This record gives sequence, C-alpha cells and structure tokens, in this order.
Amino acid sequence: MERLLPVRAGRAAPFVSFAACLCLLSPSRAQDIVVTAKKVVLATDAVLADGAFLIRQGKVAFAGTDIPTEARKKATVIDYGDAVIVPGFVLPPTTLGRDRDLAEASLPFTPDLRAIEAFDPWQEELAKLPAFGVTSLLLSPSPRNIAGGIGALVKPGQDNGVVATAEVHLALSLTQVARNPERPPTSLMGAVDMLRSAFTMAKAGTGGGPDVAVLRSALGGSRRIVIHADLHVELAAALDLAREFGFEPVLVGAREAEKVLPRIVAQKAALVLEPLRPEQRQAQLRLPTLLAEAGVPFCFGGRADQLRTSAVLAVRAGLDRKAALQALTRTPAQLFDQHTVVGSLRAGCGADFLVFTGDPLDLTSAHVATFIDGVRVFGEAGNAPKPHNAAAAAGAR
Amino acid sequence: MLRFPLLGITLVCALLPAQDKATAYKNARLLPGGQPPIENGVLVVGGGKVLAIGGADTAIPAGAAVVDCAGKTITPGLVDASFRASNSADMNENGDEVTPHLRVLDTLDPDHRSFARARAAGVTAVHVMPGSRNVIGGLGCVVKTFGTDPRAMVLKEDASLRITMGSEPSQENRPIRGGGVDSIYYRRPTTRMGVVWEVRRAFFDAKAAMEQTAGAPPAAPNPGIEVLTRVLKGQLTAVTTARSEQDLRTALRIAAEFGYRTILEEAQDAHVVIDELVAAKTTVMLGAPSATVVAGSAGGDGADPRSATVRLLADRGIPFVITTGSNLQSLDLVREAMFAVRNGLSATRALDAITIEPARLLGIDQRTGSLAVGKDADFVVWSTDPLDPASVAESVHIDGLSVLALR
Repeated sequence: MERLLPVRAGRAAPFVSFAACLCLLSPSRAQDIVVTAKKVVLATDAVLADGAFLIRQGKVAFAGTDIPTEARKKATVIDYGDAVIVPGFVLPPTTLGRDRDLAEASLPFTPDLRAIEAFDPWQEELAKLPAFGVTSLLLSPSPRNIAGGIGALVKPGQDNGVVATAEVHLALSLTQVARNPERPPTSLMGAVDMLRSAFTMAKAGTGGGPDVAVLRSALGGSRRIVIHADLHVELAAALDLAREFGFEPVLVGAREAEKVLPRIVAQKAALVLEPLRPEQRQAQLRLPTLLAEAGVPFCFGGRADQLRTSAVLAVRAGLDRKAALQALTRTPAQLFDQHTVVGSLRAGCGADFLVFTGDPLDLTSAHVATFIDGVRVFGEAGNAPKPHNAAAAAGAR
Repeated sequence: MLRFPLLGITLVCALLPAQDKATAYKNARLLPGGQPPIENGVLVVGGGKVLAIGGADTAIPAGAAVVDCAGKTITPGLVDASFRASNSADMNENGDEVTPHLRVLDTLDPDHRSFARARAAGVTAVHVMPGSRNVIGGLGCVVKTFGTDPRAMVLKEDASLRITMGSEPSQENRPIRGGGVDSIYYRRPTTRMGVVWEVRRAFFDAKAAMEQTAGAPPAAPNPGIEVLTRVLKGQLTAVTTARSEQDLRTALRIAAEFGYRTILEEAQDAHVVIDELVAAKTTVMLGAPSATVVAGSAGGDGADPRSATVRLLADRGIPFVITTGSNLQSLDLVREAMFAVRNGLSATRALDAITIEPARLLGIDQRTGSLAVGKDADFVVWSTDPLDPASVAESVHIDGLSVLALR
C-alpha cells in the first residue's frame, strides 16, 4: 500500500512530501480525478451508495450519475473501497493559538484590522489540522478585543496553508477576556456601550473613520457579525445589541445559551458551541439536541482535536446523526456564507473530504485520509480497497 | 431546588397559565401599603394583577382557588430603592471617571444570587445603580427580582443617574496594580477635591452644551452630555451617594450650584445635617439603618451612623425610604424596617418606607408598591406580622407567580 508522510515537522519535511505527492503518487492537478467509495456523503441530504465524484482543478465538478462517461474514462480513479467519505470539517472562528498576532493590545476597538494579515501559511498548528479532519477554518481576530476585526477562511495545504476567502466575518467580543483591567473598557457596561456607540454612529450616516465604516458595511449585510459571549449576561447584552441594530448574530462560546434560548430562537441567532467533553453535565451535553429541536443553527468550535468527539458526544446525548455531521461541515460554512466554497461535496465546492472506515460519528471508525482541494494531505492513499481497520469497518456497516 | 436553570424556565412556563386563574387569599391581615390595615381581609389575584382587595365580605369569583391565610399577614412585595446586585467588576467602568451614559441594565444577571436572596426576603422590585467607584457612574434601573431576561424584568429603564461623593471614586486612582504612572489608574481624582472637580466639570460642560445648542445647529452627539442635560432639565433623577457630613453638604452644594435636584443615598450622617436637608427639601434613601458602622470600601469616609437617624428624618418631615444600600453590614430589607421601628418609627411608616414610598420615589407606584386593584400582583404572605423578628416570608409572588421555589 502506498503511503505518504502524514505528519510534517518544520519546513523541510513539507517540501519532501510535496514533491513526493506531485511527482510520484498523486495525479496532476490538471488531470481529473474520480474518487469512489462504498458510501459518499456529498452533503447530509445527498448520500450516494457506491458513490463517486469527479474532481477537476481541485474542486468537485460532478457527482454520482452526473459524471460524464467520457470524463470518467479519462480520469484517474482513486478507490477507497468499503470506506465512507464525508465533507471535510470546517473549524469556526479560531486564532489557532496566535493571540500574539491576532489581538491588537494597544486598542480595544479595531474592527478594520484583518486576520489575513496575520495568517502564517507555514504555521505548525495549521499543518496538524488535517489529522483531525479539519480542511478549512475561519481564522479570526482574538476575542480579547471588543471589536477584533475581520476574519478569513483559510485552509491547510499540502505544504503551506492557503487563503480561500480573504474577508469573511466581523468578530466582536463581550467575554471576560475582552474586559481588560489595564485599558478601557474594564466592565461589561463599558464594553456594551463601546459597541452601542459605534453601531449608533454607523447607523446614523456616513461619519466615522474606517472602523465605523466596517460596522456600517456589516450592518448593511456585507458580512456576518460574530459576537463572542459566554455567560447569560453577556449573551443577553449581545442579543440586545442585535435587536437594537437589526442583525442576526452568530454567538461564539455561548456556554449559558439555554438561559436565553427563547431569545436566540426569536432573533434567529446562530451558535458556535464550545467543545463537549465526556465529563460534562448532561444538561450541557444535551444543549445541541435542544438547539436542533428549536431550529437554531449551531456548530462546534474551539479545538480542532475535539470537533469529532464533540459531535459524537452530542449524538450520544440525543442529537440526530445528520444534524451532528451538519454541525461539523455544512452549518459552519453556511453561517459564514462560505457554503459555495466549503462544507459539502456539491459541484463547485473545494474537494475537501475525509475518508473513514465507517460512520465518522462512530468512534470505532478509523480516520483513513484527508483531502484538501483534491490533494491528499493526511493518511493513506486510495486504490486500497482494504480498509485501515477491517473489523471496525465491518462493524460500522 | 431545581438543578438546571432550563428546568426552572420550563417550570415557569408550565406555571404561567395558572396565573390566569383567579386565586383568593382570605382571612389574612392585609397591610396594603399607604392604606390602613384590613383585618380578615381578602386579596384576589388573577392574570398577574390584583383583581380585588377588601374585607371579609369581598366577593370571591366563582372558580377561584381559595387559600386560607388565617394568622398570616400579606403585604405588597417590598421595594428596595438601593440594591447591590451582580458582579461589581462589571458595574464599575474603570476606563473613565465620568460615565453618565453607561447603563447598569447591560450587566444585570438575573441568575445572580443576590436576586434569589432578595426574593427570599420578600423583595419583589429593586433599584439597581452602577457601582460607586466612578464619580458619575451611569444610569440605574428598576427591575423585578425574578425573570430570565433582564429586559423583561424592567419596571423603569432610566430610573436615575448615580453620582458618588467621598473617597470611593478616588480610591483606586493610583498606579497600584504594579503599573507605572502611565497606567490608566494614575489619574484624577485622587482626593475628595478631585471628585468634586470631576462632577463640576461634567455639569459645566453639560450646561455649556445646553446654552450652545439653544437655537444653534446641534453639536456632535455626546451621550454622556445628553444624560447630564436631562438631569439639569429635571427629566432624570440624580441620586448622590454621600455618607459623611462633609460629603452630604458637598452633594447639596453642587446640586444647588447647577440647579438640579438630587436624592441623597446612604446618608448615614443625615442626623448631623438635618437642617440643611429640611431646607433643601431633599429626599433621603437611608442605607441600612440597623448598621452601627459603614463597612466596606466606604468605611474610611468617617460616617457615624446613628440608630435614631430614621426617626429624626420622620420627625423633621424629611421624605425618606429605607434601603439595604451598599453597606456590608446591612440586613434583609424587612429587618432594616424592623430596626427603624425599634428606634421609634411607627410600624406603618416603616412598612411604607420599604413599599409604597420607594415605589413613588422611583416612579413605579402605578405598577407596584401597594396592594390595589389593577396593580401587579406582587405580594408576600408572611407567617405573622412582617416586623416581628420571628416572621418569615412563606410565599413571595411576582406578577402572581409564586417565586420562592423557582431557581
């Protein structure tokens, strides 16, 4: 069985794997690739048995019976046999541990700063993501600033990361870390007032500098407004601002979301939840189920290595499997208006997918490979019908 | 005790329809607030409102649930006109000394234990103000003590503007956090003189803005100046926290200088400046009359609380209410009224000072503060006379909902 170097350390290793990939093992990007497997989940509502999809120029071009016969004949086929293929996971707003570069300490209100300026394509944390199934992420200014700035959609890559969309969401924060005792605002009152004043100015007309212009543009619908808020009182304040200025927020953290659930539903807010852990109380583990029942869009955030287990724990606490997979893929893409780019394997989206020996929400299923833009960046090559863990695969189906 | 808040919410929802059905509390001693007591009275509530109140012959609607309250006393829900709630770090914005436009409502946490404690003590409405670490702290609000959404608990949104005299606003204005002189904490005021300077400058600027905008195109919006202007125009109540004699005099002097009216809050040394209070026709929110010292961050202000102050205020005809305030030695609100009675205040005046009087002062008396037809069904069933030391609040109702067992 062919193998690639799945883990890259430092900057020399990527070049080795990159060269190996291009020259020896993978088909050229110019060449069409057809990927086949026993089960292909294009999106949670489009599942193909004995499915296939065609990748052209790093994007999904056709799937299932839509694949033209001629194109299929000419394409290189990568067969994953009895495996299950799902879209790659999308990691919601994160600084990837780079607060040093994504939290402008001199000022609390910096909505016009762009996370993209601090994006390091060679960052080690980025290279680790494919092993956890993350194929794209929303690099976001830190919640340490009341208005952090504009986030970007980026992807890990074969060697270095790439920018998929340069400007995505506006990141605001009312969390404890944003209320800094060394500079104003030091209190939640002050933090809310800072945002209220800025939104008021943004709504009033054309005044203010580039920072106010960013808020004005976001209020006009140019981008989603994301507010980091954990506690009841922070969430209530975030929802107050959303109601006063007429936007539908994405609330990140939302630890005490159940306390404001009726308002979240009424104001069509969406949530990015903290990772679930097995030792948590049942009420916390049940939160995703409650949100799904209430029709609140949500996804899992926080650490990449806890994404899959969060979804599994949510399923164990009652969440529908489809909804759980959606929370890892389609929902985060949709919340940030990136669903035409990532989050599913529909035609036009990047060919970002994961190969498992069985249902990815079954922890006995092994993670076989990760592809980003049609290139394998982690795991085992295809054309190896024998799954990584045959016993688990058999059990999963 | 419910373990999960969500269950609490669910229970509230389950109980809500019960409010629509009328309930009659009969054979109780009713102390309606601002009215004479009613022996063997009947209180009928339904739909969250008081439907009827009167003597034993008061008609009870057909189908109403009847609760026999023989031996018990029913009062309006208590109103605490100065109540400390929530996290003090979030109620004091240290970024500036003068923050008139900041709203305490933005940081109010309905789950904070202070609300549960207040409910258990029969308090159904409270006036919450920003903390006392700023010279001008911001806008206070009046809320009921039970709810899940702070906005839904509001009785009056912009109820007051808090101004603080004394040492508290200047206490932390030194580079005390290991920082240098460039720290945000190294600034004026560091003295009582500096505190007054900040107030004077703020109102001077507001007055200048008022004069400038008369007939002229409006200046750039300044929310802080707008709030101060409302105080100067008499549209918003100023509440000045002042404990010691010198601070009380200063508070009255600045108010007179700029021509605004202010309520004096805490006012432990009111007994020293009683003539000035009479002359200024000011109202006093007396903080914790039971306390013998001022404990906490204002302990160094030199105030000298006296038990007789509350009776002195009554005897001199100075309008006053009794509050728990910010003194760490304060007791439950009803116990503070009890101490006032022990020191010579009549029971009726004492009860009015924690029900209808603060409701009037805060402008919420159309909704709560007394038991009258059409008002919110905010009331407390006490095991016996509420001013009896052995009395306990057996059930507390807000908008007709019994709230002691919830959350």
